[in-house]
Amino acid sequence: MTLARKGHWTTLVGLVLLGGVYVRAVVFTPVERLQGPAQKIFYLHVPAAVWTELAMVLVGVASVVFLFLKDPRLDRFAEASAEVGTVFAAIVLTTGPIWGKTVWGTWWAWDARLTSTLFLFFLYIGYLLLRGAVVDAGARARYAAVLGICGMALVPFIHLSVYLFRTLHPQPIILKPSAPSLPQSMLVTWLLSFAVFTVLYVGFVMQRYALGRAREEGDRA
Amino acid sequence: MPDVPHNAGYMVAAYVTTALILLAYACSLYRRAAKR
Repeated sequence: MTLARKGHWTTLVGLVLLGGVYVRAVVFTPVERLQGPAQKIFYLHVPAAVWTELAMVLVGVASVVFLFLKDPRLDRFAEASAEVGTVFAAIVLTTGPIWGKTVWGTWWAWDARLTSTLFLFFLYIGYLLLRGAVVDAGARARYAAVLGICGMALVPFIHLSVYLFRTLHPQPIILKPSAPSLPQSMLVTWLLSFAVFTVLYVGFVMQRYALGRAREEGDRA
Repeated sequence: MPDVPHNAGYMVAAYVTTALILLAYACSLYRRAAKR
């Protein structure tokens, strides 16, 4: 089975499992008393946010190693991870304001967490535009690697921004030094959702990687 | 004890938006691969 086909099946499994997460979150997970049903946006928003950041970390790590080894597979992986990260960032930046409108009373606030996440999204877009704009493959990979490393450097700042600044955005309730502060049933739903987003990330990256490889082979032919 | 807010519409909007974005990207990858 080719990598693209494996990616298709992995993505399909991920999408079906996402349907299962929807059912569990909406029907079988309790409603939070203060925020109401809108709190259930948490089960999509946070896993997407974690993978938005992890995807950029993986772009950065692949970029650092690429600059040493010059292995085109690393550059191809970084490109794939950046595109998938952009998709997850789009989910974060649409579900966040929908949740914010009902809980905070506003779609958007220019606080550190929201603004730095928007900046990460623009960085992803810039990364993909840069790759599209440079014709020479060697130069494209080098320039993109440098930008990918800059993107990775932004991620810790985004995660810690809620501690460093007074923000409207709440502090983490799962990814923090102490134990997660939410009931067991909610935590299980979140973990299931995170696992499904992981499957989707893997499936998307496999497909996008195969696409990049096919393009390179087409360019060489 | 405060009443639970009636805001299920926001949850539905977020869930539908997420599904649409993921499906659109999955279709985009499939179409781009099919063109090759």
